[in-house]
Amino acid sequence: MSNQSILEIRHVTKHFGGVTAVNDCSLALEPGRIFGLIGPNGSGKTTLFNLLNGIEPCDAGEIRFKGERIDGLPPHQIARRGMGRTFQIIRVFPEMNALENLLVVARGDWDAASRRALDLLAFVKLDRLKREYAGNLSYGQQKLLEFVRVLMTDPELILLDEPAAGINRTLLNDLLEAIRDLRAQGKTVFIVEHDMKVVMELSEKVFVLDHGEKIAEGPPGVIQADERVIEAYFGR
Amino acid sequence: MKPLAWGIGLGILAGLAIMPFFVTSYIVTFTIQIFMWIALAGSWNLISGFTGYVSFGHVAFFGTGAYTAAILILKAGWPWFPAGLAGSVTAAALALIIGYPCLRLRGPYFAIAMLGLNEVVRALVSYFEDLTGGGSGISLPPILSLQPVYYAMGGVALAVFSLTYLIITSRFGLRLLSIREDELAAEVMGIPTARLKLYAFLLSAAGPGIAGGFYAWYASHIEPLGTFPLLTTITMIIMCLFGGKGTVLGPVVGASLLSIFQELVWARFLFVHQAIFGALIVGVVLLMPKGILGVLQERYRLPRTI
Repeated sequence: MSNQSILEIRHVTKHFGGVTAVNDCSLALEPGRIFGLIGPNGSGKTTLFNLLNGIEPCDAGEIRFKGERIDGLPPHQIARRGMGRTFQIIRVFPEMNALENLLVVARGDWDAASRRALDLLAFVKLDRLKREYAGNLSYGQQKLLEFVRVLMTDPELILLDEPAAGINRTLLNDLLEAIRDLRAQGKTVFIVEHDMKVVMELSEKVFVLDHGEKIAEGPPGVIQADERVIEAYFGR
Repeated sequence: MKPLAWGIGLGILAGLAIMPFFVTSYIVTFTIQIFMWIALAGSWNLISGFTGYVSFGHVAFFGTGAYTAAILILKAGWPWFPAGLAGSVTAAALALIIGYPCLRLRGPYFAIAMLGLNEVVRALVSYFEDLTGGGSGISLPPILSLQPVYYAMGGVALAVFSLTYLIITSRFGLRLLSIREDELAAEVMGIPTARLKLYAFLLSAAGPGIAGGFYAWYASHIEPLGTFPLLTTITMIIMCLFGGKGTVLGPVVGASLLSIFQELVWARFLFVHQAIFGALIVGVVLLMPKGILGVLQERYRLPRTI
């Protein structure tokens, strides 16, 4: 199993002062599938993402990406190995236009990158706004821009931190379609999402965190019926 | 539009090139000052306007260049021109030493660290008397003609301006802007922010180093207090903000207009000119924080490359 995993987390722990945000967490993602990560507020989901792409160092444990250890590497090196992410709170480049937001993260040939950027903008229906500053776009548009920005880097594993939050129903269907499309291209997707419907609909496997510990993992149907999960969300 | 812009640019350059033959030495002196401020404000723009790392110690690179040139001229017998150019080497070396640790500091901490750097360099210059002449400074032979300095300083201004244009039209420049916009997001998207910031910082130190080197020759006397004044850093910041930070023409416009304005006000209102100047700055920061070019770009949807 460990040889086939694109991402493997072993006994990872992270403290902030006296708070244990992630506690002895282990999980593995097989390539080419969609995974969900859920848990009540403050359960350590975003912190776990931050550990994965190197924004925060781990206190203990190890992280392997495509078989190689990546804990301790700076974020840009992890990104260049093929891990991309979006943020829960939007982090587009506000005073750069939509097109520049995509071009700036591109690698390799400039003309190819320009064509790809225009395609991606058209895909999320932002092609008419390509010269508009990202900061002037609506919340939902910024969210979509951030989503296609990570696609510009052509990652093999994509971490999406609440991609559906604040996106209207019509756009949401496009977004879900796009995420499934990524899977069809052989990419691995790892999603943190509060909208249970979205997570359960998309994911093939769901991990549940509570107080920084993994309390369950399994297919959506099993997770929804799991007593520990229900308890974590609703209390005993 | 493009041929027109080139035409206007080349016209201005040609005008400036022949100007010293037709005007008084007062005008030549004044234009040398403007050239120097264009080079300084434009260099500050490279690190602070592009990456958002506000340097409050940029005059340290100017002073380092000035002392490098003065020492090379006086002690090593170098001609003034290569000695001035050598100022960029020591200034960039200083930027490398200080930038490596300090560019990890964010926001006000970087600004304060740079402020401290300037004081440290000034203290060191005063301390090593054998080399620098200590508090009384270094005197060089007086210059015989203003014209070589005019062309040399104009060359520095043009070089900084051209470098800014090359950077902003490049992928490197776009990446510097992403650091200003959201450094963490840039890093997570695979942009090696630490390395790019350091490159920008080295480039931003080289221009002031050369300008300082030529200034030492031009002023023919330098001493620590007059070579490392905080006011010089503040002036370059104000000029860049006034013209428009993160733009190509902003520092040029800001340095030119403020120099002219200051000269006019100073001549007419000897006693209140500082107050008038200060009020203007407050007004600019409050009413158009993006500067003249920033406002023009927004209103007329002009490309970033002006």
